[in-house]
Amino acid sequence: MENSNPLIQVKNLDLHFGAFHALKNVSVDFHAGEMIGLVGDNGAGKTTLIRVLCGIYAPTSGEVFFDGNKVQKFHPKLAIDQGIETIQQSVGLCDNLSIARNFYLGREPVKRVLGIPFLDMGKMREKSTRVIRQFGLRANVSADDEVERLSGGERQSVKIGRAVEFKNRVVIMDEPTNHLSVREREHVNELAVQLKEQGLLVIYITHDIFQVHKLADRIVIMENGEKVADATTDSMTAEELEEVIRQGGRVVEKREAV
Amino acid sequence: MKQIVRSQGFGAIIGVVVVLVVFSLIDFSGWWTAQTITNVTQFTAILSFVAMGQALVIMTKEIDLSVGSVYGLAGVAFITLEPSFGVPGSLVIALVMAAFVGLLQALTVVKGHLPSMIVTLGGLFAVRGIIYVWTGGSVHNFSADARIHPVTRLFGGELFGVEAAIFWLVVVAAVLGIVLRATPFGNRLLATGGNRESAESRGVRTDRVKIWAFVLCSLLAGFAGILTLCNQPQTHVTLGENMELEAISAAVIGGCLLTGGRGSIIGAVLGALIVVSFRYELIALGAPSSWYITFVGVVLIVAVIFNQKLARFLGHSV
Repeated sequence: MENSNPLIQVKNLDLHFGAFHALKNVSVDFHAGEMIGLVGDNGAGKTTLIRVLCGIYAPTSGEVFFDGNKVQKFHPKLAIDQGIETIQQSVGLCDNLSIARNFYLGREPVKRVLGIPFLDMGKMREKSTRVIRQFGLRANVSADDEVERLSGGERQSVKIGRAVEFKNRVVIMDEPTNHLSVREREHVNELAVQLKEQGLLVIYITHDIFQVHKLADRIVIMENGEKVADATTDSMTAEELEEVIRQGGRVVEKREAV
Repeated sequence: MKQIVRSQGFGAIIGVVVVLVVFSLIDFSGWWTAQTITNVTQFTAILSFVAMGQALVIMTKEIDLSVGSVYGLAGVAFITLEPSFGVPGSLVIALVMAAFVGLLQALTVVKGHLPSMIVTLGGLFAVRGIIYVWTGGSVHNFSADARIHPVTRLFGGELFGVEAAIFWLVVVAAVLGIVLRATPFGNRLLATGGNRESAESRGVRTDRVKIWAFVLCSLLAGFAGILTLCNQPQTHVTLGENMELEAISAAVIGGCLLTGGRGSIIGAVLGALIVVSFRYELIALGAPSSWYITFVGVVLIVAVIFNQKLARFLGHSV
């Protein structure tokens, strides 16, 4: 894996919001088929980094390469077109629209009648119904139901199902299991592993180092806008990584067991 | 049936039925006359155009207070430019001016990240001021030739045995209804109002959607002004004053939620029917005309409460 070209390569990324230095010289590589745990405290810069990758923020300086090509313009639409999908707890679904309409929002399939694009509701219903069954929504939920009827876990399932359905190459999960029940959390984590096994790059953002250590291949720790650790999960234990976070990024020498 | 009940216009359907029943009970002979029906449907059609545009803007979680002034501006432009550009020419210019006002306000709202209530309040005053300056307070009329011009007849007379305004309302409402429910643009418009951040994260260019909504709103208001003047080709400076309030009321009575993402075209039309019916019937019953606005206020508040209860009953979180 280390030999292949990284799918996403971030080089010396800096981002300022006015006087606030949100990202400080961040460089990191992400490979396809890998699951990365992106960990750090609140305000560490995890979400900011991700927002650059999915086109919401443009960096102040530094470069981002996607599949070997330098990214010139940052816009969510462009990131989506490249196959980068972000799954966030509170964002991604419009409560006032049906599951089918949400599923295809922004890239609706159309049937043209006299050149006028009409929504292909048949296709939208059929495909989204198949996916919501596959991803374990209650049997009485139909694709025509508005999203506001769904539970937190079901919402996550819809978003993940959508990410799979559109053959994305990168799926970024931002705290995907917050506010979920234990069963729902396990379900979401299983789905994340499935995505990775299908050859996607999965970036899993969380506070919970112990949870992500079990799932991820590699852990990247951020602190104060800087990358402070980048280690494969078989080279460092969760406890060691937690210690790194607790020490605010300084890698502490392991004390010899007495 | 379930579809109808769950649709956003359901509250307005109930409202229309109640209004018709009540007016029939208290004033059957006065209400169900050809004269009343013609007037009410004519005014409803005009207000509906403005209300439909307003509904589109409200569905994107914005508001347009300038529609009354834009309605007036398009009307004044249509009449005063007719001698120089002819009927079709002045009609096109009037619509372009309306659309331009909408575009300008939309860009200010979207690019300046400003609240649309303030920007369009400014638009309301600015455009009304332009009307005053332009007309100098004088009344303009169409010439006899312009009154019988085929284009004037197309929008002002009768078409296929119905009032032209009604005919155009049916056409435009059908088109807008289909655009809203059955095209990608409609899906994105509702998404923009429902949850802008989510829509944006799906690659919807919500700025553009809002700009289109504002331009369409102004265009429809301008078109309503033209329909009015084709029917009665005479301008005065107060043309369209307070119309924004009636249009917003109609849209809200018709089930548009100011929180965005919910509403319907048919609801806006039915809301307009309710507002106009009240205006007409109160005057017909001999109530002082100044009472009318009080009643619209009461009806508006009652309708909002009713629509909210209905929405909660149907399980929406509002």
